Amino acid sequence: MIVCVAVVGHQNNPLYIQSFTEADDALKLHHIVHCSLDVIEERVNNPKKSGTTLNEAFLGLLYPTVNYKVYGYLTNTKVKFILVTTDLDVRDTDVRSFFRKFHAAYVDAVSNPFHVPGKKITSRTFAQTVSNIVGSYGLN
Amino acid sequence: MIGVGKMKQYSNVLDKPLSKGKQEVSLTAFAFLFSELVQYNQTQVDNIAELERRLEDAGYAVGSRVLELLCNREKGNRRETRLLGILSFVHSTVWKVLFGKVADSLEKGTEHEDEYMISEKELLVNRFISIPKDMGTFNCGAFVAGIVKGVLDNAGFPAVVTAHFVPIEGQQRPRTTILIKFAEEVLKREARLSQ
Repeated sequence: MIVCVAVVGHQNNPLYIQSFTEADDALKLHHIVHCSLDVIEERVNNPKKSGTTLNEAFLGLLYPTVNYKVYGYLTNTKVKFILVTTDLDVRDTDVRSFFRKFHAAYVDAVSNPFHVPGKKITSRTFAQTVSNIVGSYGLN
Repeated sequence: MIGVGKMKQYSNVLDKPLSKGKQEVSLTAFAFLFSELVQYNQTQVDNIAELERRLEDAGYAVGSRVLELLCNREKGNRRETRLLGILSFVHSTVWKVLFGKVADSLEKGTEHEDEYMISEKELLVNRFISIPKDMGTFNCGAFVAGIVKGVLDNAGFPAVVTAHFVPIEGQQRPRTTILIKFAEEVLKREARLSQ
């Protein structure tokens, strides 16, 4: 079950944070997203030569906490997508396809000529699309 | 502006194929829109430098969005970290999406280490524009320079990009060159990465 998705800009400024459960505290989720930024920074600056390449977009499982798993995705413009989920068994392909759809929705939102890059994403269409993607994620 | 070309004429509307992903816009429609953009900016500024800057700003917005779009569409999404990588990306992929063909040539500047040039025999945006004598060295290619600047800036390679005319003997219209001058930190990072 996806609990929260977030889009963070290239200067680590939050562009979009949306949580999908009322049970947990939204602030705690924000905190988790914020901590995961450090992990991403570390992964990007110290590349593991063996295995994953320096240029891979999908960063994979960033760090597991008690209840949650956090996945990361980095685009070419250093914009980061964070996914927080409570599922115990998460398939890699599911997460990758989620990020692919999410990336497409993000590109659509940014292509809006009235969107100022660096400001928060206020498009209702984007929020709607993200809700749809999250809704269809659990069904696969 | 994506894949600008001529519209195909079909005799029977039933013969038209179902539209696929590739979209083409008519060249004349774009030329009209661009001429209007230049005219609008011309009424608002007093000098040439300001007009160039405005066109460049307009191009910058296009460039940043084009980068996001291309990175999503390209298969095997690899983030460019090397200078040559991003330059060849701009030179082939970006040009292909915007103008329907790759740029004519990509050269490294001889005088300075941080200068690179992309040249084009005739920039698409300049095709229907002739500059009056009293405007001097103004080049509407500043719009394309802005696009390149947008792509480079958002990919993490800050640069100063300008457009220049280069007269070539034997040709009536001069060639256009986009001059890219990278910032200090890009060169330092490149030197560090090549070790």
